[in-house]
Amino acid sequence: MCGADEDVLTLAAAAALRALEAAGIDPGLVDGLWWGTSRPPFAEGPSHAVLAAALGLSPHAAGALSSGSAHAGIEALLGAADAIAAGSARLALVVAADSVLPGPGTGFEARSGAGAVAYVLGVDDGNATIGTRITRSRPFLDRYRGDREETLRDLYDPRLFREEVFLPLTREVGGQLAALEPTAWSLPDPDGRLGAVLSKNLADGGAAASAPVYAAIGDAGAAAALLGAASALDAQGVVAALAYGGGRATGVILTADAAVPGAAGILDALSGGKPTTYAAVLRARGLLVKTGETVDMGVPPESAMFVRGADEMLQLLGARCGDCGTINTPPSIHPHCIACGGTKFELIPLARHGIVHTFVINHTMPEPFEAPLPLAVIDLDDGARVMLQVAGDGVGLEIGSEMELVLRRYAYERGVPVYGYKALLVATETEEA
Amino acid sequence: MAWNKVAVVGASLIKFGELFEQSYEQMAAGAFEGAIASVDKGFDPTQVEAAFVATQRGTLWGQEGIGGNTVPSALGISGIACTRIENACPSGSDAFRVGAMAVASGVHDVVLVIGVEKMRDKSAEEGLLSRAAAGHPIFTRGETAPVLFAPFATRHMHEFGTTREMLASVAVKNHYNGARDPFAHFQNEITIDDVLKSAPVCHPLHLLDCCPQTDGAAAVLLVNADRAEEFTDNPVFVAGFGVATDHPYLHEKSTFTAMTATTAAAERAYKMAGVGPDQIDSAEVHDCFTITEILDIEDLGFVEKGKGGIASLEGETAINGRIPINTSGGLLAKGHPIGATGVAQITECWWQLRGQAEQRQAEMRNGYALQHNVGGRGSGVAVVNILTNRR
Repeated sequence: MCGADEDVLTLAAAAALRALEAAGIDPGLVDGLWWGTSRPPFAEGPSHAVLAAALGLSPHAAGALSSGSAHAGIEALLGAADAIAAGSARLALVVAADSVLPGPGTGFEARSGAGAVAYVLGVDDGNATIGTRITRSRPFLDRYRGDREETLRDLYDPRLFREEVFLPLTREVGGQLAALEPTAWSLPDPDGRLGAVLSKNLADGGAAASAPVYAAIGDAGAAAALLGAASALDAQGVVAALAYGGGRATGVILTADAAVPGAAGILDALSGGKPTTYAAVLRARGLLVKTGETVDMGVPPESAMFVRGADEMLQLLGARCGDCGTINTPPSIHPHCIACGGTKFELIPLARHGIVHTFVINHTMPEPFEAPLPLAVIDLDDGARVMLQVAGDGVGLEIGSEMELVLRRYAYERGVPVYGYKALLVATETEEA
Repeated sequence: MAWNKVAVVGASLIKFGELFEQSYEQMAAGAFEGAIASVDKGFDPTQVEAAFVATQRGTLWGQEGIGGNTVPSALGISGIACTRIENACPSGSDAFRVGAMAVASGVHDVVLVIGVEKMRDKSAEEGLLSRAAAGHPIFTRGETAPVLFAPFATRHMHEFGTTREMLASVAVKNHYNGARDPFAHFQNEITIDDVLKSAPVCHPLHLLDCCPQTDGAAAVLLVNADRAEEFTDNPVFVAGFGVATDHPYLHEKSTFTAMTATTAAAERAYKMAGVGPDQIDSAEVHDCFTITEILDIEDLGFVEKGKGGIASLEGETAINGRIPINTSGGLLAKGHPIGATGVAQITECWWQLRGQAEQRQAEMRNGYALQHNVGGRGSGVAVVNILTNRR
């Protein structure tokens, strides 16, 4: 699972930025964002717009948000492929991200995971192509969550699910894909056993390419099928990706002529997890909340400040003074340069990497903050200085530490997630050794 | 040549502490009555023409409707002119400065400056800690009060080799002084070991590096210097003052080893008073945290930059040291009821300059005492007032 200050949006942002970097694509050139997640951060609301802004996409970027089941990820991929085929987009960004929220005590609770993967689709110059697709559906309440329900219900009858729905649907779709002779499979494995059954049926008993993904992070819901497929795109071959969710099974063939940039690093990116406790898991999932007063944000998340500050907060913008070059942050509160008083500014994205000038570790925080909370003043590579919360407990943090800035969920208040950047200690070689 | 247009003829504070049994109004009345009683030749309350009231956190502590212009009513002098001054932690010292300007302008001859703060009517979590969520939602989020000062400690330790023992020596000295001040919140002595072993609050600051949350009130009476003899034969004069600001956010500070607002305010005050730091006999400075006093004594020019820690450890700032600092116990031991703090510091300076500080009396060789506060997102504004017993 992901950390308490991460969610489907921060995971999606991290994956998308890596994919764009691997593809060498400027986010401003992307024509549309297709995002699949079973559970967007706003049940209704600006989920897509917030993610697009955080990625620095054009405010004219098109696209769609698919949601409502673990099937949403593959829907996003195929929706983007259709837009490319139709000519309405030349460059599409696809993100499948999920953080499965099981009800406490449900059979699949221990297996529920979180993860994200992003694909960049273009018209003709990639190393891989999207080919045949097949869908088979059957109305069925599998891991159902009703309107206004917080967590996923358990399967009513696991045998019924397995014998009447999951296996028939996936076998039918998989059987048709098998005719195209894939060299690698990404297969759904919602309970830790069904994946192996499908491998036996479809992959001639060989392990699916998705097995290491499940082993590393569990069932990442809507991200699972595309994560497994992406990890198999690290070499020439034909990958069959099969997704199941919400009574629908869809398969698609991805054909790689050569390794897709970024694919080789996926399994590495999924490693490095830390052990945790059940109480910490419940707390991070928002299911275990301390009693008593919590401190409200000084500024309501629905208020004008968040409209004025949306771009500078989500994109981490600074204002570079046209007279003296000093970078002022955040721009909205600096009509005059703090160094020279100048008024001519250029908005720039701040560097996402820097060095700690000084720091504290705050041990005394009211709810909903969690202590210890480190905060650091960081000199960024572009000369700007910021002070931000540090993700984690601050162990190893010192003056001179190397930091990278990452999007995190700062607060969850009145049902509104608030996003901003935190600093993450970059692991140094000595620490790894 | 000192300014000396305004005289302080009365000053007092109430015993600081967790005054659960006293209302805001009762605290104000106690301070006012004490100030009246302190006037050598007697004082008729109806002589007050205008009041300047320092209350910083009225809205936070639940005094939205009071904490300013309703104070004269509680003092029995309703009808006079009254203005609330809010200028962060220096609210009290700035109210004093504004009161002095009101007298010096000739508009008023007799002015009351009163600071009142009720900090313990709310729980610690709903009080100062709740500031963690105030301000900019991202760039300030998580900044409780210690976060505004602890980064200076981290950096001062890094650049100058200042140690936690040096920080602790400030708290030990101020608690020693507080144990000799009947008005102090804490009246117990502590050891360096006590400070080092106290709970971590905000690394590198521990519990005894931090001032408490305290209720309190203090009041002083200002008159035109030409009329001082109507009230006392032993007046204290306002020799000079200075105020300066700095950028509010920590990431905008030009340095983490000095507070530039303090340096600039001190320069202005020294110039106005016609004295330098060498002529100051004792000083009440802003020690909300131990690191703050170390920065203050450097920024005010009492010790060389970087030497504040060692100077404290070696006793240079003790009552009998080279430059006695915070003889009252300071914010660390006397307490920090924000609006009252500066006015209470003025009161201590007044006692020192009149030779009334009893066990805490410093040797007043030159006849100058200095008072200082810094605050406003930590160090966004500083006020320095200099008082003298020399005409």
